[in-house]
Amino acid sequence: MTTENSAPVSGSIMVVGGGISGLTTALEAAEVGYEVFLIEKEASLGGRVTQLKHYFPKLCPPTCGLEINYRRLKDNKNIKVYTLSEVQNVDGTPGDYTVTVKSTPRYVNSNCTCCGECEKVCETEISNEFNFGMNRRKAAYLPHNMAFPQRYVMDSAMGKDDREKVKEACKYNAIDFSMEESTFDLKVGAVVFTTGWQPYDATRIDNLGFGRYQNIITNMMLERLASSNGPTEGKIIRPSDDKAPETIAFAQCAGSRDENHLPYCSYICCLASLKHATYIRAQYPDAKIYIYYIDLRTPGRKYENFYAKLKADENVFFVKGKVAEVSEESGTGNINLVAEDTISGEKIRQTVDMLVLATGMQPTCAIDKPAADLTFDDEGFIINDFSKGGLFAAGCANKPADVVTSNQNATGMALKAIQTLRR
Amino acid sequence: MSANYIPQPDLGFIAEIKGLGGETLKKCYQCATCSVACPIAPENSPFPRKEMIAASWGLKDKLIGNADIWLCHQCGDCTDMCPRGAAPGDVLAAIRSAAITEYATPKALAKAINDPSKLPLLLGIPAAWFALLAIITTAFGGIMEKIFHALFGDALGGRLHWSHAHEGAEHVIAHSNFVSTWFVDMTFVPTAIFATVVFFLALKRFIVDIHDNAVLEGKTDKTSLDYKALLQSVINVIPMVLKHDKFNQCEANKDRSTPHMMVLFAFIGLFIVTAVCGIMLYVGGYAGPYPQLNPIKWLANIAGVSLVIGSGMMIKNRLTNKTQVTAYKDWFILGIVFALGLSGMLTEMARLAEIAWLSYFFYWIHLIAIFELFAFLPFSKMAHIVYRTVAMGYADYANRK
Ligand SMILES: Cc1cc2nc3c(=O)[nH]c(=O)nc-3n(C[C@H](O)[C@H](O)[C@H](O)COP(=O)(O)OP(=O)(O)OC[C@H]3O[C@@H](n4cnc5c(N)ncnc54)[C@H](O)[C@@H]3O)c2cc1C
Ligand code: SF4
Ligand code: SF4
Ligand code: SF4
Ligand code: SF4
Repeated sequence: MTTENSAPVSGSIMVVGGGISGLTTALEAAEVGYEVFLIEKEASLGGRVTQLKHYFPKLCPPTCGLEINYRRLKDNKNIKVYTLSEVQNVDGTPGDYTVTVKSTPRYVNSNCTCCGECEKVCETEISNEFNFGMNRRKAAYLPHNMAFPQRYVMDSAMGKDDREKVKEACKYNAIDFSMEESTFDLKVGAVVFTTGWQPYDATRIDNLGFGRYQNIITNMMLERLASSNGPTEGKIIRPSDDKAPETIAFAQCAGSRDENHLPYCSYICCLASLKHATYIRAQYPDAKIYIYYIDLRTPGRKYENFYAKLKADENVFFVKGKVAEVSEESGTGNINLVAEDTISGEKIRQTVDMLVLATGMQPTCAIDKPAADLTFDDEGFIINDFSKGGLFAAGCANKPADVVTSNQNATGMALKAIQTLRR
Repeated sequence: MSANYIPQPDLGFIAEIKGLGGETLKKCYQCATCSVACPIAPENSPFPRKEMIAASWGLKDKLIGNADIWLCHQCGDCTDMCPRGAAPGDVLAAIRSAAITEYATPKALAKAINDPSKLPLLLGIPAAWFALLAIITTAFGGIMEKIFHALFGDALGGRLHWSHAHEGAEHVIAHSNFVSTWFVDMTFVPTAIFATVVFFLALKRFIVDIHDNAVLEGKTDKTSLDYKALLQSVINVIPMVLKHDKFNQCEANKDRSTPHMMVLFAFIGLFIVTAVCGIMLYVGGYAGPYPQLNPIKWLANIAGVSLVIGSGMMIKNRLTNKTQVTAYKDWFILGIVFALGLSGMLTEMARLAEIAWLSYFFYWIHLIAIFELFAFLPFSKMAHIVYRTVAMGYADYANRK
């Protein structure tokens, strides 16, 4: 791994974003012999899938896919990974780009063994964004147990005293506060953007009460609650009083397929809620689960079967009608919700212990637009303009998608990048 | 709905709704947000989601005779929250407009009122008619006096006269000198009777239809129609209508309630004024113009001002509100109401300023506006006064909750 300006090699490829799509793009290109620079803004690779408990439809943990990718990565000399780094500017034409990259310091070098001594002595605490702020963590931390590289980070928020303490605690001489921010240029022939997605900001969906009522959470928060490396060590409990929920409702299309928010279908949130039902069923066999939907979108045979299995579950109820109004029951923290069941034509007023908003994905580049000659659609996804070539997008930077589709897309874009170099 | 219900899409009806301001109806994807957003939709079979799917399919029979479309006050809360921009509030307004046309006879007149190309004709006929009456009154008053005397001279012991003017009336501006009060009444009494008959015929069908629809869709616990009880219910809801209770439950277009109330009360005020004037004239033999200190004059002035301001505010709201569709049917009626109020006030002001020709000119406009309003009452959007009140009464009768 390099953090300095390494000599540009003609015919290299840059991949921006080290989530599942970025990993795939980088590996596919590197394994056929191309040099790849993989730029990741966070301290670890892996992206959003590291926050999931299980992948649908097979319900295996994300380590499944990630571990093998990390292995391939370690074995491949062609990939240079830059974590805590962002692309500042892309200049040039297909086959000949100059990319300006800015790296912020981790303050930890490759000596780190993840012994965790620094974390023990550090007193400064920061909000844990990996868990969507549901808990706090030390300013000396390992991003998560699936982090790659497996190396600690010293957050810049750490106080002076703590800096002394952690340095003292580290027996491996791994902590170095003299590291500085650096900006450097890389010469590449093609760039693939795999900057992924952000959960849509649920506080903006006014009628669904997120942020106003504690027991309304988002689907990604539920992933973290259900994950053993999450804030509750995998126990799904409601935020207000740590109670095990007996009735849980899901509000589908929360902020998706909505002209006032994200006008498109986020593709994965129906399946995500079905998957979440399996989490809850496994933990609380008697809990009742209500899924309020407009249409359930489970494309393909595997996903249809997954849906069919849950439909047969006697504790999972499907209500065709969008949750349109919520309030809090005074005293209990329970959530009252209102919807119209469009099958019976009755208004439904239900009180549940917890309401999960199935929020969708917004492309990261809609919020943080890359400084490159890219074409975006109205919603901020990058359009692949093959006639122009040179700059491409894969995964959720290109469209809302599941992991399988993201990976297929990523493989295709690796090939497009290679074709740019070989013209 | 029976299990083997086969929808009969009516494409013409879909096009009609679109043309009446419901262009967006096909955007609906049946999420049912609107039924929850609507502050006045009942718990059982709430609207407007079900109306949206019926409209998409062109199921005219499920919409025209559906009392729910009349319970809607077009507040726009549903339109605001609709994730698809399908504007259910505007679609319901368009359906109401189609329903008015459907129940009105003669159909041709109903169609003409929603057709901008017929506007010159609809305005031109009364304009010509009142012009003719004015010419007769002003130029042939003497002849008319003789004819009148020959016909009714001795009736009521000779108390009936052609002219309603005061002594020496040639020297004051009195509108009966321009268009004889007899002529005015000879025009408007039959017009009012016509409107009443049209409404009567319409309501006969309307009430049966909304009841059948309610029974079919399980919206009522009544199986048969009891007209007496229904009438009682209609009377029960009138205070609610006057207080704008339902109107005030809306969020998005709160500011529409006040102007609407001003216009409604202005009409009630003007109705009282007209009735009192009629009684004063025909029973008391006391003809206008009345002095400014007369209480009836106060009421007339307050109502007139409130009509102008209320309808003016409505027009302004419509012009500035980008989220609500304003179709021709809306402009037609707003224009007439505004013109009616304004021409009335201007007539009076010109009279007080002693500019006779101007006052008579405004009076002519005023007469045309009154004619437009009354003659077309059962055909224009104004008909909502009757249909909505009856539908609200029916909801009360039917225990729609
Ligand atoms: C609730 C929920 C549950 C889900 N469950 C499943 C599931 O069970 N199975 C499944 O197949 N899919 C699931 N998905 C979808 C899955 O999360 C996505 O398909 C997947 O994350 C797409 O990967 P990606 O690499 O395109 O994007 P991401 O995972 O978002 O990765 C993008 C990476 O780019 C980095 N990055 C962003 N901007 C920059 C920048 N400017 N510079 C450098 N780096 C940057 C980010 O830090 C991140 O590491 C779920 C989604 C949700 C919302
Ligand atoms: S930085 Fe040092 S103390 Fe901290 S985990 Fe790494 S090796 Fe251990
Ligand atoms: S995947 Fe399902 S919940 Fe998500 S936006 Fe599409 S339809 Fe709505
Ligand atoms: S009109 Fe709008 S809010 Fe109502 S069901 Fe259709 S899409 Fe949903
Ligand atoms: S416009 Fe207002 S009253 Fe009419 S259906 Fe919509 S929310 Fe209900």
